Amino acid sequence: MADLEPVVGRYLNLESGGRRYRIYYEEAGEGRPLICLHTAGADSRQFRHVLNDADITGRFRVLAFDLPFHGRSNPPDEWWLERYRLTTDVYLGLIRDFWRALGLERPVVMGCSMGGAIVLKVAADHQDEITGIVGLESTAFAEGRDNDFLHHPAIHGGELAACYTYGLNGPDSPEEGCRENWWYYSQSGPGIYKGDVWFYCEDWDAREDIGRIDTNRCKVSLLTGEYDYSATPEMTRRVADAIPGCRFTVMKGIGHFPMVENYALFRGYLLEELARMA
Amino acid sequence: MAELPTPDWMERYRQRVNEDPEMAVIGDWFSLDFKLAFEGDAWLLSVRAGRIVDIVHNPRFDRPARFTISAPMRVWTKFIRPDPEPLYHDFFAMLMRVPDFGIDGDSLAAMQNARALHRMMNILKTMEPLDGRS
Repeated sequence: MADLEPVVGRYLNLESGGRRYRIYYEEAGEGRPLICLHTAGADSRQFRHVLNDADITGRFRVLAFDLPFHGRSNPPDEWWLERYRLTTDVYLGLIRDFWRALGLERPVVMGCSMGGAIVLKVAADHQDEITGIVGLESTAFAEGRDNDFLHHPAIHGGELAACYTYGLNGPDSPEEGCRENWWYYSQSGPGIYKGDVWFYCEDWDAREDIGRIDTNRCKVSLLTGEYDYSATPEMTRRVADAIPGCRFTVMKGIGHFPMVENYALFRGYLLEELARMA
Repeated sequence: MAELPTPDWMERYRQRVNEDPEMAVIGDWFSLDFKLAFEGDAWLLSVRAGRIVDIVHNPRFDRPARFTISAPMRVWTKFIRPDPEPLYHDFFAMLMRVPDFGIDGDSLAAMQNARALHRMMNILKTMEPLDGRS
């Protein structure tokens, strides 16, 4: 008998911000929708453990989609005439239009890194449409990750992005998980990681937006790895301090990629927060 | 008390790099000379095809290096240990967050060889701590 996973992949033709996209997503489970947002320069494969976790899929319909230009989601038409730079408006619109197109009611939106950033904006602008957010490695403002070598004709961008992000794992996370994430990072298109980092370090500033989040209308859970040096625990602490009623936990021993670098350790933290969202 | 690397310590590092099965896979194109500087005490490593073929302590001006990775001993001792604290646990973490850790020289050459160089730095982390602790 074939050893099939319960995860199913689909393509969604989606209009967002006046552009047409062919979006790939994977899903598993039944129950309240749980949308998962991958990190910069990566794709939805980072959430394969969540998608295969029966303790989660027994209560949630888990959906993880690839942003345009990432994974199996195509760029929009005439992509070759633009420099790829993700913006807050485009990113927020894609997430909102994804759940509306699929008719997902009051989803939980979980994202990591730049996904952990944008969920704060999701909560600020759409708190009556969602159940809550789970922010992994969230910051309202981040600087310092961009550099010109990330897209340079004399450097293998995939190898550099993969190595540049490898150190974001916790030092004791299982090598298998860290290497898996390395592999995903090595596969993004030219300039895509840099274009995402541009969003994260240049365009993104939600320090005023998070003051609008009402945790009586939208639950907020923030989980940040002890060893994350991109979105440090101190940076997430500043977000938590600005959102009364939000939960914030520092995950000991974990780095910037909890769902892929060390799922066995992460899932305990995650299940505790999801129990509040069901 | 932090102690500078000794010739024996550097020789053991050379052996670990040269016996590393991953370096044998990824090191083909990594051929250059660079320096590791511990509080100003420098070691030039001549790397050819991912193997350290020569080590020179405090080289003279006639042994140019493409780049130098340097830090004071109080930084190196936090990096070279089995249980590093956050921000000192990785080469790229220190480049971003530890002001006293840096690359001088041809950083483009360093990043062109990021995979093999990062591996060499990760092997360096596994060396015996320089402050006598383990």
